[in-house]
Amino acid sequence: MTTAERNTGDSKSGSPAAMLDHTVRLLTASDGLRTFLLACAAIGLALAVTGLLILVAGKNPIAAYWALIKGVTGTTGRFAFALNKSTPYILAGVGVALCFRAKVINIGAEGQIAVGAIAATWIALNMLALPPVLQVTLALAAGATGGAAWSALAAIIRLKRGVHEVLCTLLLNFVGVLLVSEALHGRMGEAGAGFPQSPLLERSAWLPNLLPDTDLHIGIVFAILAVIGGYILLWRTTFGFRLRVMGASPKAANYAGIAAPRCMLGVMTLAGALAGFAGSIEVLGVHYRLIEGFSAGFGFNAVAVALIASINPIAVFPAGLFFGFLEAGALAMQREVGVPSSLVFVIQGLTMVFVLCAIGIGARAQRV
Amino acid sequence: MLEMRGICKSYGSVRANRGIDLDVPAGRIVGLLGENGSGKSTLMKVLFGIVAADAGTIVFNGKAFAAHSPRAAIAAGLGMIHQHFTLVDAMTVTENVMLGWDHAGYWLRPREIAGLIETTSRTYGLEIEPGSIVGDLPHGQRQRVEIVKAILRGAELLILDEPTSNLSPPEIRGLFNVMRRLREQGRGIIFISHKLDEVLEICDDIVVLRDGEVTGRRAASGATKSDLARMMVGRDVTAAIDKAERTPGGAILNVVKLSHRDEKGMDRLHEISFSLRAGEILAVAGVDGNGQSDLADVLAGLRVATDGGVDLNGLDITHVSAAERLAAGLSYIPVDRATTSLVPAMSVADNLALREFDRAPFSRRGWLHRDAFQARAAQRIGEFGIRAAGPDAPARTLSGGNQQKIVVAREIGRRPKVLIAFQPTWGLDPGATRFVIDQLMALRDAGGAILYLSSSLDEVLVLGDRIAVMYRGRLSRPVPRAAADTTEIGLMMAGTRTKSDVGGQSA
Repeated sequence: MTTAERNTGDSKSGSPAAMLDHTVRLLTASDGLRTFLLACAAIGLALAVTGLLILVAGKNPIAAYWALIKGVTGTTGRFAFALNKSTPYILAGVGVALCFRAKVINIGAEGQIAVGAIAATWIALNMLALPPVLQVTLALAAGATGGAAWSALAAIIRLKRGVHEVLCTLLLNFVGVLLVSEALHGRMGEAGAGFPQSPLLERSAWLPNLLPDTDLHIGIVFAILAVIGGYILLWRTTFGFRLRVMGASPKAANYAGIAAPRCMLGVMTLAGALAGFAGSIEVLGVHYRLIEGFSAGFGFNAVAVALIASINPIAVFPAGLFFGFLEAGALAMQREVGVPSSLVFVIQGLTMVFVLCAIGIGARAQRV
Repeated sequence: MLEMRGICKSYGSVRANRGIDLDVPAGRIVGLLGENGSGKSTLMKVLFGIVAADAGTIVFNGKAFAAHSPRAAIAAGLGMIHQHFTLVDAMTVTENVMLGWDHAGYWLRPREIAGLIETTSRTYGLEIEPGSIVGDLPHGQRQRVEIVKAILRGAELLILDEPTSNLSPPEIRGLFNVMRRLREQGRGIIFISHKLDEVLEICDDIVVLRDGEVTGRRAASGATKSDLARMMVGRDVTAAIDKAERTPGGAILNVVKLSHRDEKGMDRLHEISFSLRAGEILAVAGVDGNGQSDLADVLAGLRVATDGGVDLNGLDITHVSAAERLAAGLSYIPVDRATTSLVPAMSVADNLALREFDRAPFSRRGWLHRDAFQARAAQRIGEFGIRAAGPDAPARTLSGGNQQKIVVAREIGRRPKVLIAFQPTWGLDPGATRFVIDQLMALRDAGGAILYLSSSLDEVLVLGDRIAVMYRGRLSRPVPRAAADTTEIGLMMAGTRTKSDVGGQSA
């Protein structure tokens, strides 16, 4: 091996794809506890900066945050709503985190959620003859399959045609989201409704409720299972070992006899299945129908959640809850203190920026 | 010319330099000798202004340096030739010289600069052609482009950081001639190396560093190798390698007309044939980039042979995966620890299982057995004396020598029939080098067959039972060590064909 070869691979920069790649590499190399503390510090800092903004707007930040917390924990119903909000972030976030671990930059969760939701809706609308349990199971399975297929498509384009996965997953997002509109303006749409949406699903296809008198559906249980499953997969299976070696060093993976294309296809399919599952849960458990624009950036937020969690499947859980709870509490904050609810997006964005900064600084300290 | 006094520099808790004094008079070559991590690079970074010293003073040509930038260092007359060159391959020599040089002006005058390069080249015997594309030049020539860059920028003191590490013996001789000319012209040179012979040959004064401190200063005329080695590592390491003559067994690896073409369609290996016998070391010398990495990778199954065949102990493995070759008893130590043979972010235990994680005892039906990882790690850490905080410590927290011990423990610990070792001592200090060599010898004495690829002619001569040379993807006919002619091997490494045709085939 020549010195020139040894040098390459290290000094990439410039394109957004390469920057994301670089970030993921930093995350893979950082260790657990320190990253957790950094994430907490980043959240604190984001809240402080946003607090200043609230202050500038002439409101009391403490009162605003208090309203936000009360908005989430005030009643069981509100708490249940917050958990429901967090579910898609956690489900899709676990898949994204696993991909990032293997240095597969899959940012296609948005499209995978959309395609999964279409598949689930179609089953729920057309399989009414089956018993309710089967209807729901089949619809969820169809959602997972749809998402998996959409993600696998991106992986195949990457492997067969060499188009970087950042590009094909991103572009397939637009196609996936437009497919929802296409379906709703066509045969799946509700006749006579003024809005592109499907007919309301029969009650038999709704997700079972967890807590009576609240909206809490069983999605959060699946989210917890996904987190635990992701952790076990990563640390206790040969597939997880392959992903970790691949992410840490493609050359070492080759040396270790790992078939990188097969692993890439595998992890992308898995992530797509989780995202599609998240999409079907939104349909079957929240809206009870497919609505245009039902996924308000869930897939993109899942990428943020995975990054804040330092691509550690276990940490995806608190990170996903953080995002979900912020959004659930936002309306209460607006109602009670008069602070616009969109401020929570500022908090989300700032948290991500600070987390990434902290990791970058940490990496620089390490390198010396 | 240069006086550095009491230089101290700490990185966190690591004290890289502790009060180092260094003097370089004009017209002398000062050798800076030390193992990896002894503080040579830190000292040079301080001098060049890449990092700031915690304490100490630098006076160069009567001017004090403080908190200077590399730009200021260059302006004051320092020139640094890094181990990894800072050249643009796609550009000509002239363009590379103009790049980033204020004197080149806003309007480029390539002809004038080319003239300057030619004059300088003649003065110092550099023999470089201003119009050639840097990417087409061999390693030794590129180094000379760096030297001419530094001279034209007015460097009175040149720092050469391990300049001989990728050169063939004739190229090294050429470099030394250039260095002598530079000395005659009254320039000072700092020559950084851990190769004792070279330091003794070219330097006037020698300064030895260990653990960030100066452990000795000698005039080269009065110094001996063993003396310097002791100062460098703090103990005796030059004891001769104990090498009993052994009668090798039967051929165990047969390679017939093996060829390889890379993804870009370049022919990397050309009809390579040899056979490797049990209990022998076939050592292959060659300057980096002549196909050694391709040969090692193709044999290990990491790259595909485009033609020819490989037979391991009667089993045709030409089209067999890396994992199956490993199972058949073929181990491989690649050159690059940082990216290939080791995953720095993963634990020692994971790294020790890196190539067998998907087989028993490490896993069954896709599930990892962490106990087996831990048990194997504990065993190997003991056997090979790997100094790590524990099996779960990330490999990157280990020193280079101990990282290589992980690789050696994994590849040799499984008692392979055939071992391919590509510069397994690359970047290791003498102590760790000795450890790796001893392990290889033990494997040979136990009946293992070893293909040893290296750019260091010394190592090849010491280790090989038979010796061959690789040049531009061809392998010369292996000759027994006793029959090997050092001068001729050196010439073959440089591509100067002699009576025994380098393109010759079959053993």
